[in-house]
Amino acid sequence: MYFLNLSLAQFLALFGTVSATLVLLYLLDRSRRRQVVATLRFWVAADQSSVVQKRKRIRQPLSLILQLLSLLLLLLAIAQLRFGTPLETPRDHVLILDTSAWMAAFSKNPGSLSQQRRTLMDEAYQRALAYVKAAPAADRIMLVRADALATPVTGFESNRRKLAEAIFLSKPGSTALNLEQALAFARKSQALDSGRLGEIVYAGPGRISQQQTLLETTSQIKNLRVLPVADPVENCGFRKIAVDRSTKDADIWEVYVTTRNYGAHSKPVVVTLAFGGALVGARKLTIPPGADRETTFEYRTRAGGLLEANLAPHDALPEDDHAVLELPAEPAISVLVYSAHPELLAPIVTSIPRMKVVFRKPEQYTAATPAGLVILDAFHPPAPPQADAIWIEPPAEGSPVPVRAKLQNVQFERWCSDSPLCAGLRTRDLRLGAASVYESAPDDIRIGQAKEGPVIVARGGKYKTVVFGFHPANSDFRYELATPLLFANILRWMAPELFRHSTVTAGSVGMVSADLERDVRPQDVRVIQQDGTSLPYTIRAHTLRFFSGTPGTVRIILADRELLYSLSLPELWETKWEAPPGIRRGVPNLRESVAASHDLWQELAALGGLGLLLEWLLYGRASRLLRRTAHLEMVKRRVRKAS
Amino acid sequence: MPYTALLDRQFLEKLERLTIHWQKSFNGLVGGRNRSRFAGGGQEFLDHRHFHHGDDVRAVNWRAYLRLEKLFLKMFQVEPRVPVRMLLDTSESMTSGSGVKFDYARKLAAALCYVGLVRLDTIVVRPFADKLGEGIRCGGGRHQFSPVMEYLSQLTTHGRTDTLAVAREFLSIHPERGLLVIISDFLDDTGCERPLQYLADFGHELLLIQLWAEEDRMPPWLGDLELVDAETNARLELQFNEASREEYTRAFDRYAAELQQLAIRNGGRYVGVSAGAPLEEVIFGSLVRARVIA
Repeated sequence: MYFLNLSLAQFLALFGTVSATLVLLYLLDRSRRRQVVATLRFWVAADQSSVVQKRKRIRQPLSLILQLLSLLLLLLAIAQLRFGTPLETPRDHVLILDTSAWMAAFSKNPGSLSQQRRTLMDEAYQRALAYVKAAPAADRIMLVRADALATPVTGFESNRRKLAEAIFLSKPGSTALNLEQALAFARKSQALDSGRLGEIVYAGPGRISQQQTLLETTSQIKNLRVLPVADPVENCGFRKIAVDRSTKDADIWEVYVTTRNYGAHSKPVVVTLAFGGALVGARKLTIPPGADRETTFEYRTRAGGLLEANLAPHDALPEDDHAVLELPAEPAISVLVYSAHPELLAPIVTSIPRMKVVFRKPEQYTAATPAGLVILDAFHPPAPPQADAIWIEPPAEGSPVPVRAKLQNVQFERWCSDSPLCAGLRTRDLRLGAASVYESAPDDIRIGQAKEGPVIVARGGKYKTVVFGFHPANSDFRYELATPLLFANILRWMAPELFRHSTVTAGSVGMVSADLERDVRPQDVRVIQQDGTSLPYTIRAHTLRFFSGTPGTVRIILADRELLYSLSLPELWETKWEAPPGIRRGVPNLRESVAASHDLWQELAALGGLGLLLEWLLYGRASRLLRRTAHLEMVKRRVRKAS
Repeated sequence: MPYTALLDRQFLEKLERLTIHWQKSFNGLVGGRNRSRFAGGGQEFLDHRHFHHGDDVRAVNWRAYLRLEKLFLKMFQVEPRVPVRMLLDTSESMTSGSGVKFDYARKLAAALCYVGLVRLDTIVVRPFADKLGEGIRCGGGRHQFSPVMEYLSQLTTHGRTDTLAVAREFLSIHPERGLLVIISDFLDDTGCERPLQYLADFGHELLLIQLWAEEDRMPPWLGDLELVDAETNARLELQFNEASREEYTRAFDRYAAELQQLAIRNGGRYVGVSAGAPLEEVIFGSLVRARVIA
């Protein structure tokens, strides 16, 4: 026998207080009262007939006993007296269902044909449903799906049908289990919303992303129960695939594939690589249990396309045996060169592989051009080109930058130092046979200067323009190493996307970290999802971190670098969590004991109310009222009779 | 205080058809309404009798003497004006408890006065407690009702009841017999029976109207009580239970019955009135049935 709402001490204290008050009121109600009457004549006669009693004695003791008894019954009803043990009271449980990516693994190896193929999720369903059925009908259960995030599916719910539906609708996710976060969420939910503390039940194999401080946390949770799901499965899968341009040859992609054996036995696997459907490489590996193996492929192509990686043979978790990466095509820019002497410029402009150069006669000039860059070699176009342009020795009357003077035998003095256009440029004792000195505007970039003034000027705007006051291929400048470098700098300034370095990585969803160079400025960083929307990220200690809960592509765009993450691989576990000793395991058998439990408060409340009503009728004002009414009627009858 | 404070006009209009009746025959001044069984100087012929020495010769039937040569005397029926006196209890007991008795008694007295005034009766109203108070003589028709109402409204309770002293004083002041209406609770610790008997023995027709409040007859209190007499301030402590209450009520009813017997035995009438009963119901019910008024 126990109280649901009050402890025994609280109940006794409350009952004592109320009883004392009741007795005081009772004595006060029945204390001697002073009454002024018309005469004492008839009172004396009445007093002589009454039985002599002790003055201090409590009169109508049955009334007091009835009141106290009724009060006791009502307080017992409020305290919810029950038979049985407190364990039988309705409680609020939190059921954490593991929906990590690992739960999609088949619990039996595919080779065992005699066994029906069931996933770990199916096993977890079974255990969770068994617990829901075993829980007393009055208990409420909150279902929480747990992978990298803990997501509550239901509130504290006593409807078993809803809970079963919610359990069956749970599907394995793409991330690894963060059990510590799920347990913290469950404890907080119980603390905030729970009526009476129940169990925190975890149904799953306990494969977690990181050990963290889980061992300490779980040892502190006294109401934790584990419904273990056995996962003796053999699985090998891709952990990471990184694709980067080779530093030796820009046309070659280097593919790094990391494979892990999650099983308990060493396993031979074959990693194959296909680009655009054609097999481009294959490696045979033998991976020890619990180890990672990295293998490298090289593939030459400038074209973009899908690079597929496959792992054979397939095992318990097919999701991590296949990965697809989208390789970007090598960027290029079309260049139109209007020159009467194309052979002079050809060595310079064709030396840059990302420029697709077309030479045309100046007579063929049109202002509207689909090209990304126009080079005008020593002629004055009727209309300025509608694209970025490099003007070489433009006539003074048609120069986009006013010519201050045209000089002979000009000593080249220096390169500008504060502009990326001049990065790495070095010349010594360079003399130009003839050069135009320009009258540059304040916003213009003076790339190269002679003593008399700038001879190479860059101007920004909608269309970027660079003006050479001399011919770079028809002067001593063509012998300088700075010549191709200057054109490369001009090209980087005009079309920086050409020089952006791309790295493609196939990884798993969840938390992604990317190392950044030290010179990366935070304002140059953008993290964009597949649909073009920005993704929140943090940068700390030159490491960029972002979280993606769903598979997809995420681009990290830096100033001169692009990191493309193809998050198509499931995030699998790092380690297995073993429940500490003392933690309850398995499905409890609570139904039978609870069936004997019986609520008494309704009967107690009814009896208490009945007792108070009886007392009121027998001894309360109701009886006085009835007697007075009857007496009044009798008086009237007698008066009429007497009259 | 205007009389409408005690009785409203509609109620007074209802009273106008009523008349105060008495049962005894009284000698009195000619001009009343009630017939007397005594012959006298009335207007209506009653009988003849032989002439005796000393009779008034003006009443001799001379026509009969001329025809029969014997002296016959004509007798006429007397319709005297009977004096009506009303004693109103103004002792402290009338306001004890809820205090409704005194107010009720004043209303009842006012109503009876109005009935008498309408029939041109003369009524003397006198308050009493331990002695008779200064009263008011009302007569001359309904237009003289305002002074009565004003007088009754200004009455207050005081003192204890001494019915014997009051009876003696009354008999000495009013030797002429008549109708004596006493409106009281008759709660005199020394007893009312003897003084009332004196009054009856002196030829007065008693009309006893006993008023009681509910708590006078059936006290609602139970338990330990400390009782204080409203008139004497005497105290009594007792435990009062249901049995005691029943005994109390029986004693009260016995006393009321004794009063009733006393009145009837002496040719008078008795009406017991609970102060909780409506005044109109008492006047047109209890008093009419008792033939106090008709």
